[in-house]
Amino acid sequence: MIISTDLLAQVHAHGEGAYPDEGAGFLVGQLEGSTRRVLDVLPVSNERPSEERRNRYLIGPHELLRAENEAARHGLDLIGVFHSHPDHPNRPSETDRQWALPWLSYLITTVEAGEAKESCSWRLNDDRSGFVEEELEKVEKANPAK
Amino acid sequence: MSVLRIPTPLRPYAGGAERINVKAGTVAGALEELVAAHPELKLHLFTEQGELRAFVNVFVNEDNVRDLNGVETSIREDDSLMILPSIAGGADGLQKVDHAALRTNQAFIIGLSIIAYILDAAWLAALVALVMLAGTLLKVPGFGFIYRGLLKPRGWVKPEVLADNPEPHHFAQGFGGVVQGIGYGLLVSGLAAGWALVWLVVALAALNLFGGFCVGCAMYYWLQRLNVPGFVKAPPPGTVPGARPKAG
Repeated sequence: MIISTDLLAQVHAHGEGAYPDEGAGFLVGQLEGSTRRVLDVLPVSNERPSEERRNRYLIGPHELLRAENEAARHGLDLIGVFHSHPDHPNRPSETDRQWALPWLSYLITTVEAGEAKESCSWRLNDDRSGFVEEELEKVEKANPAK
Repeated sequence: MSVLRIPTPLRPYAGGAERINVKAGTVAGALEELVAAHPELKLHLFTEQGELRAFVNVFVNEDNVRDLNGVETSIREDDSLMILPSIAGGADGLQKVDHAALRTNQAFIIGLSIIAYILDAAWLAALVALVMLAGTLLKVPGFGFIYRGLLKPRGWVKPEVLADNPEPHHFAQGFGGVVQGIGYGLLVSGLAAGWALVWLVVALAALNLFGGFCVGCAMYYWLQRLNVPGFVKAPPPGTVPGARPKAG
């Protein structure tokens, strides 16, 4: 997955703002063959009850629909989800696996003591047994055509 | 004829289809038609137990069927159906816990303890306690080897893997093993009251097996809330302490 440093910084800022809770949002972009290019990020509210947000996130179905419609309005696709792991590695947990949708890219950022450290991107296996890490390429411009 | 809209992440498993027409009169029937046409979707829509995955929401027009009659919600002609998932997850540190193995363990604890009582075989009650305590030390269900070696491979018992904390289950088994062991101790001392403790373990295991509530786990979580050292795991979010977590 290709993401610009600016958009990645927005993802990290959202995670830092949500800390010590988990922050989440959508990745919007386009497909380029087998690669995905992130062209925008859509932060959303974590809909878990406040006492559960420390290590869980929830985005309701209406937010997904809103994000899909927003992406379609700009001729783009909803290609992934980002969320933060406060003081926890940026690897998918068992809960991440059980709740994951196939096909989407899951960008996970570790936020330690309020500071975003590093992000990794993952995709769920077709048999739901686990995730495969996908290469995360950081570029200067989100859309090189512009 | 109703239209069922498929969300973007599931379209690759539906031949790229954005929507299909369905004839069924219920949501369950519509999903059956969808899966019949695109079998690869079944794994992502349903658990191994055939229940709709927790993140799958089906809307009939503007209504989430979870707020109506679930998958038995009726569909009228020209209704618009939409599968609209929730997006969720988190770092919570839960692990894969096969509740089918736990249930097998509970069934054998119950069965063998009752047989012990019927036969007045205190040694059998002691054996059950030893297996429970050994399992606690090894951090596995004591009679789980029967599930792993026989029941699961033969397909007689299907796995039910849930995101859960294994530690409370270990504690519950250990607590039960200690109580059963004390019961045995009373029996060999000539006190029939020992059988009362054995029956207590049977009752608690039965509450877990048939009622889905683990008293020992609830005790673990209460101790965790009291910040007792060694009791560090909080209940899975949205789960009553001691109750079985929901499947994803």
